[in-house]
Amino acid sequence: MKLEQTLRVLSGADEGFDEFSMEELHRRLGDRSLTILDVLPREAYNSEHIPGAISLPLAEVNSRAGEVLARLDAEIAVYCGSAT
Amino acid sequence: MRHVHGGIAEWKEAGLPIESAPVEATANDAALGLESRVAAVRGTSAQRGIFREAVFDLVDRLSTTHLFAAWMLLILACAASYWLLSYAGLSALTEKGKSVAADTGGLWTAIYFSFITALSVGYGDILPMGAARILAVAEAAGGLLIFGLLIAKFVSHRQDLLVRQIHAVTFEERLDRVQTNLHLVVSELLAIAAACADGSGQPRRCGPRLESTVLIFVGELRVIHHLLYEPEQTLDESVLSALLANLSSALNMMGEVMQELPRNFPRSSALNDALRTVSVLAQDICAECVPQVYADGLKILMDRIQQSARTIALHQE
Repeated sequence: MKLEQTLRVLSGADEGFDEFSMEELHRRLGDRSLTILDVLPREAYNSEHIPGAISLPLAEVNSRAGEVLARLDAEIAVYCGSAT
Repeated sequence: MRHVHGGIAEWKEAGLPIESAPVEATANDAALGLESRVAAVRGTSAQRGIFREAVFDLVDRLSTTHLFAAWMLLILACAASYWLLSYAGLSALTEKGKSVAADTGGLWTAIYFSFITALSVGYGDILPMGAARILAVAEAAGGLLIFGLLIAKFVSHRQDLLVRQIHAVTFEERLDRVQTNLHLVVSELLAIAAACADGSGQPRRCGPRLESTVLIFVGELRVIHHLLYEPEQTLDESVLSALLANLSSALNMMGEVMQELPRNFPRSSALNDALRTVSVLAQDICAECVPQVYADGLKILMDRIQQSARTIALHQE
């Protein structure tokens, strides 16, 4: 169930998710209970990403979300290119 | 799950830290991401080790010729310094109580003294005085250090050769084992399909059999995945294509068996985990995802492997 919800949110079908503030993310960079997810293309991830982020390009969300996100009930902070 | 609204653009504008190295570009699981994050936190303490690593690296990279040249340079530079000190009017070296003159003969004496000092022979026929004493001690220490490194290089050279030979032999043996095991997996899968797929067989016996076959397959698949992503040794293309062809047929067979298994076939959690790993690893094998560029025949094989992996993924719970 959780996976479906995640996929819906990631693929943009569901707008209902809360905002994660920059300050909180910065404060919790070393926090193991938080998974940071980079949905930008892999090249963008390779050139720069928030420290500790995991790469899951939007194009691969449907096929790979299950493998990349080991624990779907864990807290996830997702980010993309800019505020759009 | 929450969304970081500003994205990476605002993150950068705020001047917050950015990581640029592809820490784990494939990111097969979240554990890898965690590791990199822990590593980032530990980074500061690791920096202390960097200097030491850099020194070891430098010594590793220097060839014996370089070290010998450095050693000679040290000796000659010190000899020149002794001579210049006497030239400047300071009595740097003395022989039988008299200062060594700053002429051609004095230069040869300085070179001779320099060698005797750097080799830690120290006959004592020529003695350093004043500032030359400090230089002589430093030269002896430095000369011994470089000489030691030089000897160590000579000794390790032969060992390196041996280690490399042993590596090559074990590597070949490992590849042979991969081939044999893949063959075993294919024939086991055939046998399982014949005995268990029609439902009349005994699923209780087939379960463990299938499980162990899949587990062996996972191990060999990991080896091939590693070969493609982090090749330690360059592989002959014919060897690689044989490996990939075998892998592809085993994967195909596995897909077929999974399709033919009765619906009520008991699946243990180990089997499910192994199948998951198989599909994840095998989907990573495709001509475009692999870091190196291979010949067309290999590319086709890789893409076929990815295709079969997708079929297996479809038949998972």
